[in-house]
Amino acid sequence: MTRALRVTGLRVTYGPVVAVDGIDLDVREGEIYGLLGPNGAGKTSALSAIEGLLRPAAGDIVIGDIDARAHRLQSKAQLGVQLQATSFQSNLRLVELVRLFAGLYGVTLSPAQIRERLEEIGLQHDASKRFRELSGGQQQRFSLLIATIHDPALVLLDEPTAGLDPQARRQLWDRIERFRKEGRSILLTTHSMEEAQAVCDRVAIMDHGKILTVGTPAALIAAHRDDPQVRQAAHGEVTLEDVFIALTGRELRD
Amino acid sequence: MLTFALPLILLVATGLGKNSAVLGGPAFRISLALTVGLVSIGTVGYSLAIARDRDTGVFQRLRVTPAPTWTIMASRWIVQLGAVLVMAIVVLVVAAVFVGITLPPQNYLFTVLVALLGSAVFLSIGQAIVGLIASADTLNAAGRLLYVPLIGLSLFGDSDRLGMTVELVSRWSPGGCLETLLSAAMGATAWSGQSWGALFASFGYTVVFAVIGIRWFRWVAH
Repeated sequence: MTRALRVTGLRVTYGPVVAVDGIDLDVREGEIYGLLGPNGAGKTSALSAIEGLLRPAAGDIVIGDIDARAHRLQSKAQLGVQLQATSFQSNLRLVELVRLFAGLYGVTLSPAQIRERLEEIGLQHDASKRFRELSGGQQQRFSLLIATIHDPALVLLDEPTAGLDPQARRQLWDRIERFRKEGRSILLTTHSMEEAQAVCDRVAIMDHGKILTVGTPAALIAAHRDDPQVRQAAHGEVTLEDVFIALTGRELRD
Repeated sequence: MLTFALPLILLVATGLGKNSAVLGGPAFRISLALTVGLVSIGTVGYSLAIARDRDTGVFQRLRVTPAPTWTIMASRWIVQLGAVLVMAIVVLVVAAVFVGITLPPQNYLFTVLVALLGSAVFLSIGQAIVGLIASADTLNAAGRLLYVPLIGLSLFGDSDRLGMTVELVSRWSPGGCLETLLSAAMGATAWSGQSWGALFASFGYTVVFAVIGIRWFRWVAH
């Protein structure tokens, strides 16, 4: 099967602190892959290294068939990225931001095409609004539009539904599902086990910079169902969250 | 808006009152207005804009695109240089039309060129500040604190009223060098060894502060 992303031995350090400790990731074409982990597990650092925001201490990152460490700009052109804390230039209007980011990816959109794109996310009447004037859900939809403005094969989403209400979250899941149907691959991080179970084909649970386990949500539940720690964490039917708690512990993280 | 208003207010206000001549001649009034505009745009405005964009993640959003990172910062510099160009032209036009201070045609060109060089000096100071200070709030306070000495020092380069040491420091400060160059560019003083010194010092300031600003710059605040 063709790989959309292959990460081998990725290691990210901040001075003496090891944030990502030699992880391997393998995202297949058309797959939605979830990276789960408590705060400080290393998810965002791993994603940042793949996005080219951080220089890894070691490891290989291949996006499609491009070596991301050797060809940084080429590999960035293949990626659609939605960051955790997304912001755009506050003085620009949505239509200007679409034009700006399309231009940065070498895409030329006519006014009609821009209108069409905004219509897809229900913001056709807000084209002249500034980003800061949008609600949280609208901002999230708009950032996802910008992330996919160049039709990338691989989309990276860092906690895409954080802070969204249930309606907005469901809408986003629908969009993610639509991406899959269009043949895109998606790598997302999330704290929501419900989200991981609902949208991800496979998930990796990560803690202390290492990947603890990888599999489909159903397979992970089946594999760990009888672990004493999972039984202890479960309230009735075993869920992915019970497996997650059992593997990563109950103590609070920063 | 204030960036453009303040130099114009100064240009007009320094000509009011009986003792206005004490503040300096027409060339001094124009150069003071330009210096205030350059410090406002370059040091304070630029560093604050960069710090805010860094705080809100605008830079990170741009850095995940295929645009080379140097173009992100260069585009900011180009915008600021454009603003300086407009500000300098507006000050010179207002000086000519409303205040009655006119220069020979070639001196207008030299003045605008010196203003652009001055903006490089003050932008690099702004870059150094934003490189050394991570928080936008701290930077806001530091920028305002620096505003006064940067402009104040430029006032006493030709005056020994506060003593020879202040005069010397003032003359070779970034603002003082700019005053010297503007004065020569407008034809108020002849181009001299001191003008060459001010020119080289300005290039030196630009390089040193830019290196500091680039070396210690962080794309994220935390």
